[in-house]
Amino acid sequence: MRRAALFLLYYLVLTPVGLLCRTVRDPLHRGVRPRASSYLVRR
Amino acid sequence: MPDLVLGISCYYHDSAAALVEDGAPRAAAQEERFSRRRHDPSFPAQAVQYCLQESGAKLDDVSAVVYYEDPGLKFGRVLTTFAAAVPYGFAPFREALPDWLAWKRRANDTVRDELAGLGLGQVPPVVCRRHHASHAASAFFPSPYESAAVLCIDGVGEWATTTLWHGRRSNLRQLAEIRFPHSLGLLYSAFTYFCGFKVDSGEYKLMGLAPYGRPRFAEVIRRKLIHIKPDGSFRLNMRYFAYLHDHVMTGRRFETLFGGPRRSPEGPLTEREFDLAASVQQVTEEIVIRLARTARSLTGERRLCLAGGVALNCVANGKLADRKIFDEIWVQPAAGDAGGALGAALSVAMERGASRAHLGTGRDGMAGALLGPAYNDAAIRAYLDEHGLPYSRPEPDALIREAVAALDGGKVVGWFQGRMEFGPRALGNRSILGDPRDSAMQSTMNLKIKFRESFRPFAPSVLAPDARDYFRLNQDSPYMLLVADIAPDKRLAGPQPEGISGLDLLKVQRSLLPAVTHVDGSARIQTVAEEDNPLYYRLLAAFKERTGCPVLVNTSFNVRGEPIVNTPAEAVTCFMRTDIDMLVLGGFILRKEEQPAWREGGDWRSDIPLD
Repeated sequence: MRRAALFLLYYLVLTPVGLLCRTVRDPLHRGVRPRASSYLVRR
Repeated sequence: MPDLVLGISCYYHDSAAALVEDGAPRAAAQEERFSRRRHDPSFPAQAVQYCLQESGAKLDDVSAVVYYEDPGLKFGRVLTTFAAAVPYGFAPFREALPDWLAWKRRANDTVRDELAGLGLGQVPPVVCRRHHASHAASAFFPSPYESAAVLCIDGVGEWATTTLWHGRRSNLRQLAEIRFPHSLGLLYSAFTYFCGFKVDSGEYKLMGLAPYGRPRFAEVIRRKLIHIKPDGSFRLNMRYFAYLHDHVMTGRRFETLFGGPRRSPEGPLTEREFDLAASVQQVTEEIVIRLARTARSLTGERRLCLAGGVALNCVANGKLADRKIFDEIWVQPAAGDAGGALGAALSVAMERGASRAHLGTGRDGMAGALLGPAYNDAAIRAYLDEHGLPYSRPEPDALIREAVAALDGGKVVGWFQGRMEFGPRALGNRSILGDPRDSAMQSTMNLKIKFRESFRPFAPSVLAPDARDYFRLNQDSPYMLLVADIAPDKRLAGPQPEGISGLDLLKVQRSLLPAVTHVDGSARIQTVAEEDNPLYYRLLAAFKERTGCPVLVNTSFNVRGEPIVNTPAEAVTCFMRTDIDMLVLGGFILRKEEQPAWREGGDWRSDIPLD
């Protein structure tokens, strides 16, 4: 039962949300930026 | 009434508790030392009990409990990672999410409930500090510097994997960070995994393996796996890593890049593993050095403090010290997650107005990292008598003389004294000691005493005033966290034999201290100052007086896969199970030839999981 719920949650909710996020803006910032001088995030 | 703050790190690996009294570390210990489960991630109930007992306090006396990371923020990172990895990450999602929903996202509440279950009084408020804020606090506040740059590099906590800070007296200000999944710690762990060692445990072995190889893959790593900027910031090419969507670190692309599947654990080591270790070590050093330059330019400081798991890479630390980017560096001895407990507590103690009382004394605030439990001679005698173990109890001077005579005679001595060390290194209170001049000592200790891989080097303890005579070291290294070359006049003259590679390099004697000289002519040094550990200093001084050599081999008092011993009983067990010749247990001496035959059911080695 729990496994089925997790399956539905993953494929029916998280997968569309994740695919949409990745299309709009990669939340993990995985691309390289050859022209940027730094990958440091200033605080 | 002193202001007490209790720090706790747990639920990932190396759980620990630390008690800070008016801003100074009073007691700290890893749970593994009590539970006897290496890298134990569980709630540190016994470590908490020890810390409170050490200061004679109850939970009612504690002003605040601090959890070393922010579980809510970490949950956000975990969910984002799952979302970013769809549709390939169902298996880890299915396994991890129930725990996150049930309790992990509120781990600080779980800590409060666990503390309440100990029955040690009313639980004070449990607050959280961010993972890297805990690391930074553990690096800066106990350091001997009034102000310094602080660099924390690890796998990951919440989001940050690398952070730069500026510390001034009781304040720490974060300047910059690099975020998950881009992580130098995880890059190193990926190679650790690929070379057949355990993640979060075997990184040390990979570092020890590096000098056997050539960095022929370093350019491939730079070209394909990691994009490094001149300031040391970086991004990983996640197509080669599997940790976003799987339980393993590396995938097929990684295997293709490096010529085949990962080495199986305990499988034979080949030139590929030597060269991979050398390559990732070189890239790691390059990044650490660049980041240090950036820290220097952002802060203008002349001193650097380090913490985070990558700060345990003493080879990189040694290169950093050698470059003289900073006048001096100080590394938190418990630089990994265990030290987060101490840092979290220190962070809140400083916010509550504590001062750094050690400043101006010329020493750091770690008390030599001797923050764990001690056992007095009455307790030791009671144990020895109860078990009918023959012993002698010489006068203190005679005890030192007998230990030194045994060491000079090629014997291996278990040395158990005073308070246990906090952090992964044994610093002379829970140590196995030997003569570094003995060329057979390394293999004897590796194979007959530690039962570990033959390639692993041993570290020297050296009297601090003599350190520069024996090693090319430009500052003290009290916590065995700097590697430096053997001094030129202590190396053996003449050309090194050619055509030797891999583990055969072990057969070549390179210095007057063969047992502690790694195959590249370096050593992982502990400088021993009299103020930090007077008894151990006396032992080294007596060894020097007898032999002319102020150096001893110092390895942790345990066998492979086992946590360092904590109690006299564990020390005796380790002594009897191995080829240690003499055990100095507080004021008592036990000689192996006088002991009754050791009997225990089954093969004890099968009970200790390999690390």
